[in-house]
Amino acid sequence: MKWVTWKNIGVDRMACIWLINRWIDPEAEFTFISVGEKSSPENGEPFDIPGERYSHHGGHCTFYALLEENKIHDLILARIAQMVDEADEIQEVTIEPAALGLDLICRGLRQISKDDFEALERGKLIYEALYAQLKLDSPE
Amino acid sequence: MTIWLLLHYKLPNKPSALRVYIWRKLKRLGAILLHEAVWILPDSPRTAEQIQWVTAEIQEMGGEAYSWRANTTLGQSDEYLTQQFNKQVDVVYSQLLKKLEKPRADLQEISRQYQEVAAQDFFHSKLGLQVREKLTSRRGEKS
Repeated sequence: MKWVTWKNIGVDRMACIWLINRWIDPEAEFTFISVGEKSSPENGEPFDIPGERYSHHGGHCTFYALLEENKIHDLILARIAQMVDEADEIQEVTIEPAALGLDLICRGLRQISKDDFEALERGKLIYEALYAQLKLDSPE
Repeated sequence: MTIWLLLHYKLPNKPSALRVYIWRKLKRLGAILLHEAVWILPDSPRTAEQIQWVTAEIQEMGGEAYSWRANTTLGQSDEYLTQQFNKQVDVVYSQLLKKLEKPRADLQEISRQYQEVAAQDFFHSKLGLQVREKLTSRRGEKS
């Protein structure tokens, strides 16, 4: 399936791409359109574009929307969603201090990558690592 | 020249909880409400992203919202606005410096408050640096 988002990915969209690839659509192909551009249906399923289904809703990030809409129930992913919420949205409740670091690393990753395709590959590694470590630290 | 983000919105009068929710969000972001009319923030990738989502959220709540990227036409107002942003954080930084003068200051609590205000310190206030230096020099203190 084809997926589309705006250029210049950061903390939320790197997380989304990793999630889509690993949990929702292993065959996913990603396209990046200019910031502010309206996506047309032939581009694929839009995500993290304001007003779309897979976007910020009620103060939650797009990663959270993907989990909810696809009914993915996983404690580690829920924790990552909390981190992305804190990194990417203004929150009253902040309980994941790693969120700010994650945001900085993802921004920096985009800076040192030649394009969004390179950034997304590197971003996947970050979230794979985060997931693995959170799983190790989890109580089960 | 500083590039600014402006936000102007209209929300339904009721329920008032929505208005409070958005107002708090913008305060927490460190935005300034200019003349009770327009919210303003210096432009950066982070602030632009936050304003984008607040705008979308207001629209989702049934309100109307417009945000712009702008620069002032008179150079002097940049300085005035920058001062307003600095004033906002300096008030908190001064309180923290005062707390740090006490021999048994709660360093953990002050650190937490420092982090919160530093996230709104868009123009790198000198007082912020002082708080940071005081905090790092006092760690490990056994008083």
